[in-house]
Amino acid sequence: MFWQKNWDVKGKHCYVTGGSAGLGLSLAVLLTKKGADVSIVARNEGRLQKALAQLEAVRQTPNQLLKAYSFSLTTASTAKEALDAACKDHGGRCPDAVFLCAGKSTPGFWVEEDETTVRRGMDDTYFVQAFSALAAAKRMARDHFQGRIVFVSSVLGYMSMIGYSTYSPGKFALRGLAETLRSELILYGIGVHIFFPATIYSPGYEEENKTKPAITLKIEETDGGLKPEDAAKALLRGVEKGNFHITPDFITNVFRSSTRGSTPQNNVVVDAIYSLIGWIALPVWRQSVDATVRGHRSQHQQYLEQKAVFKLEELEEHIGQDSS
Amino acid sequence: MPFWSWGKNKWNPDGKHCYVTGGSVGLGLALATILASRGAHVSIVARGKQRLADAIEVIESHRQRPDQIFRSFSFDLCSAEGAEAALDAVVADHEGLTPDAIFLCAGVATPRFFVESTAKDLIDGMNLGYWTEAWTSWAVTRRMVQQGRQGKIVFIASTLCYMTFVGWSSYSPARHAVRGLADTLRSELQLYNIDVHLFSPNTMLTPGYDEEQKTKPKITLKIEEGDTPLTAEQAAIGLIKGIEANHAHISADFITELFRASTRGSAPGHNFVYDWALDMMAMIGAPIWRSSVDTLIRAHRAEHAEYLQTNGVLSTHGDPGPTVK
Repeated sequence: MFWQKNWDVKGKHCYVTGGSAGLGLSLAVLLTKKGADVSIVARNEGRLQKALAQLEAVRQTPNQLLKAYSFSLTTASTAKEALDAACKDHGGRCPDAVFLCAGKSTPGFWVEEDETTVRRGMDDTYFVQAFSALAAAKRMARDHFQGRIVFVSSVLGYMSMIGYSTYSPGKFALRGLAETLRSELILYGIGVHIFFPATIYSPGYEEENKTKPAITLKIEETDGGLKPEDAAKALLRGVEKGNFHITPDFITNVFRSSTRGSTPQNNVVVDAIYSLIGWIALPVWRQSVDATVRGHRSQHQQYLEQKAVFKLEELEEHIGQDSS
Repeated sequence: MPFWSWGKNKWNPDGKHCYVTGGSVGLGLALATILASRGAHVSIVARGKQRLADAIEVIESHRQRPDQIFRSFSFDLCSAEGAEAALDAVVADHEGLTPDAIFLCAGVATPRFFVESTAKDLIDGMNLGYWTEAWTSWAVTRRMVQQGRQGKIVFIASTLCYMTFVGWSSYSPARHAVRGLADTLRSELQLYNIDVHLFSPNTMLTPGYDEEQKTKPKITLKIEEGDTPLTAEQAAIGLIKGIEANHAHISADFITELFRASTRGSAPGHNFVYDWALDMMAMIGAPIWRSSVDTLIRAHRAEHAEYLQTNGVLSTHGDPGPTVK
């Protein structure tokens, strides 16, 4: 719970990473509509300019500062440079809030991942946000500035399943960082929030589905999803209300309450009900997923053989060995 | 234990090849020793050659049969290359066949304040708390599947994979990541009949603990002062009991049990009623504990501000450190 109830973004400087597409762009548009100064950061210059045009289209006042910065955020030095650039355009002043929407998902089978894809998974989920958080926290602490840092994790930071071995660890790690910082940044009066959405229908989601194993798609087939605008609204509302963990819908609320540990809850009574629902429903759901995975064994063996995932000679030695 | 494992034979290390990373000290050594005394073949991997030599002597003193194979190898497991090379060495005396059980004990904690951290601190934290386990699990899984063999992969995290607080910003994220990987692989490796377990010990009295205390902020020490550490042996016994009970998530102390049950989500639990009771206790107790810790931290603000002034760490807004790759 925070000292400022119903925080208002009007007139505040909001720094949004991953701000050229998907959740980040929708959030930047929403913040602009609400009268904030908005800085968006991403890699691709072309996409950034298109995004900036969308912000300009909803400008509220002539003196709103709407800016775009092209930087890679997966190295600490460029993450700091990006933040420094945005601060420079505000007279050296820190952003009031830093929204870390940058991130990417590339699901696949663990046995098909190589060293590059495994490492990239952690860079694209965890370090892409952690380095910006480090730069922001240091700057805010140095300047005695009571700002906010907002992480974006995923429901796959509360739980995990087949297909997400390069994505879920980083999303869990973000929870670990946010929880540590919520506690630690009390020392400086800096607020911390973290958002756990499930599916968002964004360009990122379309990319993700290109590599996603068929079995994972099958398990997710009944899941709904949110439009980026609705996810952005939920995220901002959570920050305005001072919620630490922010979850936009029923399923993510159930997971939030069922993985509570020592995380501050948002509403004691409502969250107890979510916990109760989770306590009954989640084991049932998981057991059905486990059964689906087990039922997929022989199809998967065929898939591995067809794709020649392992060297053919070694495979021929073992075809015929019953491994299920 | 889930009902479909009733009647399944309790896991028994006798005659099995157990590969223990971080096996030269602390929990890894305690585990290797117990496994040896229960008739297993044991391979240990760590970095320091002297410690490995000393450890093998200890393990030898628990030999039960002349045919048990005890080996030690020096490798750095923080890279994919290191993990592969270590695995090659480990399987060499076992006809190239993958081990029956892999215990990923390697891990180091360096607590410090976030605003005093460099990028290298965050990267090292992830190397020593996550990659050191992830790469071995990656190398082993691929080889097990290639060979059509089954077995167990046991990740070791910490209570700090379920909860965290001031001082742990380079360590807790890595341990949370271990949990994320363990939960993903528990689900996915059912495709190959490979079991995955996660063990989360609380503070253990080990050389690792002594290292940790060197950098730990005073406020973190204060918050932890009520903790009763386990010995490495107690933790190792708890781990093996959990494997015998076929638990996906294993803990060896009451506090961690409370957190295990209350952060369970969709991960497999233990006995339904027992977990519910733990969850209820945590639902009441955890907010009280956390509020008291938050109060302690707020009260520490002035002292901390002075500390930062005298340290001069923030005045130059320190160097962010090397790039990730």
